[in-house]
Amino acid sequence: MPVVSLVLGFLSAAPLFLAVGVNPILAYRQVLGVFVNVDGLTESFTRAIPLLLASIGLCLPFKMNFWNIGAEGQLFMGAFAATAIVFMLPDSSAFVLLGSMMIAGFIFGGIWGLIPAYLKARLETNEVLTTLMLNFVAILWVDYLVYGPWRDPEGFGFPLTPMFPLNARLPWIPGTRIHAGLIVGLVCAVLVYIFLARTRWGYELKVTGESRLAAKYAGIDYLKLTLLVMFIGGGLAGLAGMGLVSGIVLRLRHGISPGYGFSAIIIAWLARLNPLAAVPVSILFGGLLVAGDALQIGLGLAFATTSVFQALILLFVVGAEVLTRYKVALTWE
Amino acid sequence: MDVAFFVSLLAHTVQAGTPLLLGTVGEIYAERSGVLNLGVEGMMAMGALTAFATSFYTGNIGLALALAMIAAALLSLVHAFLSITMRANQIVSGLAITILGLGLSGFLGKPMIGMTALHLSSFSIPILADIPVVGPILFSQDILVYTSIFAALVLWFVLFKTRLGLNVRSVGENPAMADSLGLNVYLIRYVCVLVGGAMAGLAGAYLSLLYTPLWIEGMTAGKGWIVIALTIFATWNPLRAIFGAYLFGGVIALQFRLQAIGIGTEAPQFLLMLPYLTTIVALVLISLEAVRRRMGVPAALGLPYVRGES
Repeated sequence: MPVVSLVLGFLSAAPLFLAVGVNPILAYRQVLGVFVNVDGLTESFTRAIPLLLASIGLCLPFKMNFWNIGAEGQLFMGAFAATAIVFMLPDSSAFVLLGSMMIAGFIFGGIWGLIPAYLKARLETNEVLTTLMLNFVAILWVDYLVYGPWRDPEGFGFPLTPMFPLNARLPWIPGTRIHAGLIVGLVCAVLVYIFLARTRWGYELKVTGESRLAAKYAGIDYLKLTLLVMFIGGGLAGLAGMGLVSGIVLRLRHGISPGYGFSAIIIAWLARLNPLAAVPVSILFGGLLVAGDALQIGLGLAFATTSVFQALILLFVVGAEVLTRYKVALTWE
Repeated sequence: MDVAFFVSLLAHTVQAGTPLLLGTVGEIYAERSGVLNLGVEGMMAMGALTAFATSFYTGNIGLALALAMIAAALLSLVHAFLSITMRANQIVSGLAITILGLGLSGFLGKPMIGMTALHLSSFSIPILADIPVVGPILFSQDILVYTSIFAALVLWFVLFKTRLGLNVRSVGENPAMADSLGLNVYLIRYVCVLVGGAMAGLAGAYLSLLYTPLWIEGMTAGKGWIVIALTIFATWNPLRAIFGAYLFGGVIALQFRLQAIGIGTEAPQFLLMLPYLTTIVALVLISLEAVRRRMGVPAALGLPYVRGES
């Protein structure tokens, strides 16, 4: 079913291409072209790394109907914390430095997730809005740093920090931009899968997601569960931010993420909140982002083209859910 | 800081509050009927682009406003179809509408970047506009400012003082009961979601035709989300929405006016955070209040209605 949604989402964009005077067949050829050449494919994997980490982080809160729209902000806070570590420990060994960057990125992303979690669990404050507003705050905070105190004096005034030293860069596969974050992402996907399928917390999440009231009667501590899940989920988004600065951009700069945290929502949903399924979907969406660049450069289309694709795919996924629900009901009878 | 500063601050407050007010009264209708529409940001963006492009190509402001409302209403129709007819997850569907509206406006609006178009001019109410201080703040504004206040009053009256409004509220409170009383739950919900969409489109038009008379991708800058927060803050009441919208308008205006007189220029990011932080604080305050006395949240908000299932 997700595959059908994907195809329908793509095809329904055809009239839009016509509207801006672009032959849809040319556009589709550009998109498919990404997946049939080595450069396109390796770049898709590169782009998939932050998507994967952020989306598996979202599988957890979504499972309990906690609507975290704040992965983007959690990612920015992770990128900020990792960069701060580079400034604090510039001379330590790569092992210590990268390890500290990961831990700091995870913790700061996690803290950014704890705030809305606490507000929701204690006061019923709408988490969609608090997580979303915290995105803006985190992005502006990073902007403040890269336009102000952290700006590279030799950067010709651009809003970016100096390049990271070699010991602060994640190792990568030579000839590509695929970095060690991919392994981290895959390990985390397995860990989160085990967390969901094999631990008591995973079970509690499922019960809470189905009925908060039932969970309460079963003695499940909503506050503790929400805090735990959002710390891990935010932390994974923070790791995605760490991977961006340390593995791809090699510095902190304005607009470090083109919306990975938002794409991650779509990926998590498309993967039906299964962290293992998020792996192929992330790679596919990584390819979609690469294709967006190709469309921008090759056909002069707007950067927003990829958002349109993603939104259309999501709409078909959401619509199709009803059909799958219906099928379940039929086999029952 | 003198009188002139405060007059310009308050005049700006009214302008910044107007798109928020337009969007909020619309979203109140959608939510009162039981449909949560998180697509406001995207619908606003589509409204802003449609209005600007129409004004650019035809120079007809009236047509620009009308088409902005239609474009945004069409987006809301997608949400209505998914959430009412297909009974899809309203949160995810609304998010998809936001991403679609933001993406589509960026996609289609690329040629509009850097263009100028005919924009809304202000309209002074004779005599009243000459009153010192109050005149420039309240009576020298544009037509949409007056429209938004009028719309809030009318929609409040309809919602709370008419049979029609009672129907809307009962559909949002207890759809099964409303259905058994012979109300068409689906139709009422569809209409309310469309009203919400049209109002969001008007709010977007205000942004691109007056507030920042340009097309800039992402020019809504979170205002659609503030609208959703304001809907809660106003406890689903169009009259309180007036107060809330100007309160937030005031925060946005303050941020610009402080920058204009040179405060915080070395780190403008902190001023820019103000509206977002205020939203969080407002939501927390209203939740504190809510703990003490449960307020008007529609009981069936966000729940799809299926005949015979509840």
